[in-house]
Amino acid sequence: MTTRFILTSIAITCCATPAFAHAFLRHAEPGAGAVLKAPPSRVALTFSEKLEPVFSGVVVTDSAGRNVEGGTVAVRGNSIAAPLRSLPPGSYRVVWHAVSVDTHRTEGAYSFTVKP
Amino acid sequence: MIFLSAAAGPRFVLLAAALFVAAAFVPAPAVAHGVVGQRFFPATIATDDPFAADEMALPTITSFNHETDFDFDYSKSIFPGFAIGIGIGHVDAKPPGESRTRGFSNLHISPAEELYRDSSHEFIFTTGLDWEIGGTGSNAVAERSSTFTPAIKFGKGFGDLPDSLKYLKPLAVTGTVGYAIPTAHDASKSIEWGGAIEYSLLYLQNNVRDEGLSNFVAHLTPVVEFSFSSPTRAGDGGTTGTINPGLIWSGQYVQLAAEAVLPVNKASGDGVGFIAQLHFYIDDIFPHSLGRPIFGGKK
Repeated sequence: MTTRFILTSIAITCCATPAFAHAFLRHAEPGAGAVLKAPPSRVALTFSEKLEPVFSGVVVTDSAGRNVEGGTVAVRGNSIAAPLRSLPPGSYRVVWHAVSVDTHRTEGAYSFTVKP
Repeated sequence: MIFLSAAAGPRFVLLAAALFVAAAFVPAPAVAHGVVGQRFFPATIATDDPFAADEMALPTITSFNHETDFDFDYSKSIFPGFAIGIGIGHVDAKPPGESRTRGFSNLHISPAEELYRDSSHEFIFTTGLDWEIGGTGSNAVAERSSTFTPAIKFGKGFGDLPDSLKYLKPLAVTGTVGYAIPTAHDASKSIEWGGAIEYSLLYLQNNVRDEGLSNFVAHLTPVVEFSFSSPTRAGDGGTTGTINPGLIWSGQYVQLAAEAVLPVNKASGDGVGFIAQLHFYIDDIFPHSLGRPIFGGKK
């Protein structure tokens, strides 16, 4: 009886639509803590959920806190991409925020390094 | 919970009423259960976590000290940051040398109010009350009298540590301290305290260093929970409790957790037990209906 109830609960939960959730970061390029031989041309973030473009974005800064994006940040579907200027060797900070289409907000930050 | 005192005067009551109305009708973004700043806190299973959220635990199975419990807990947000939980369970106990007893435990009602959040320091502070309603369970296993346990709870992530300690940034702690007040005159009052120490692999992967973890592994959180009870009256015995090391896997909509239950002394129990839980994030499963606060959470 208990087992059947649990399985039914799981089935209802899995089949429940429409369902959205917090947008968690699934993949980042470059990744957190990466040490790169060549400077990246962009930062690309992929999330677990579709995003609200107006309320989602990313800022990339150098060690002095200056923005190093080389163009407009694009938010499409479940991804955010920011083109970068030609980055000299140094440490860079990626700060993102994401609002999934059901208005759950998440945020995060990490660093990567470009080697001399 | 915010308690209104009759002595506070009509002005205070009016102010409280105004705040109530304002909270009910001001649209607000969804308050994420378990998320403070960059930190995701999974729901802990042996101790209360500091979030007032839409969530359901079904079942929580505990097998320890010659007793097996099946518990159900459901929490519904009323306003953003304020939720009321209900809980009930089934107890099946067979102590050595005694006859087997079975039945439903008393119903619990547990309001909780998030009082303070600091996103940059991944900190949250919450107050709550647990009301075990005496006489609602089976005579065989449940108390006839009620117990009120007002409590404070907190959560703190360590993402604000300096980069020289970067591998400690995924650490977080939660804690709770309550004062159990039974309505029965002969029953002992006690301090109920506990917490959890957790290491988020998701935080490690996304915020510190991409270790190339698979999506499944990245959603695991090793955790050690501890739960203690300390009677306040002399002669009622010493502190009892358990330490529970285990693992929590947090998905998009559900969470699975399993922990060992280790008694801290002889008075706390006999042998090693286990606790396991299937937990549903109702606010993620039904974000536009059941999972939103009743007041103040509409889009």
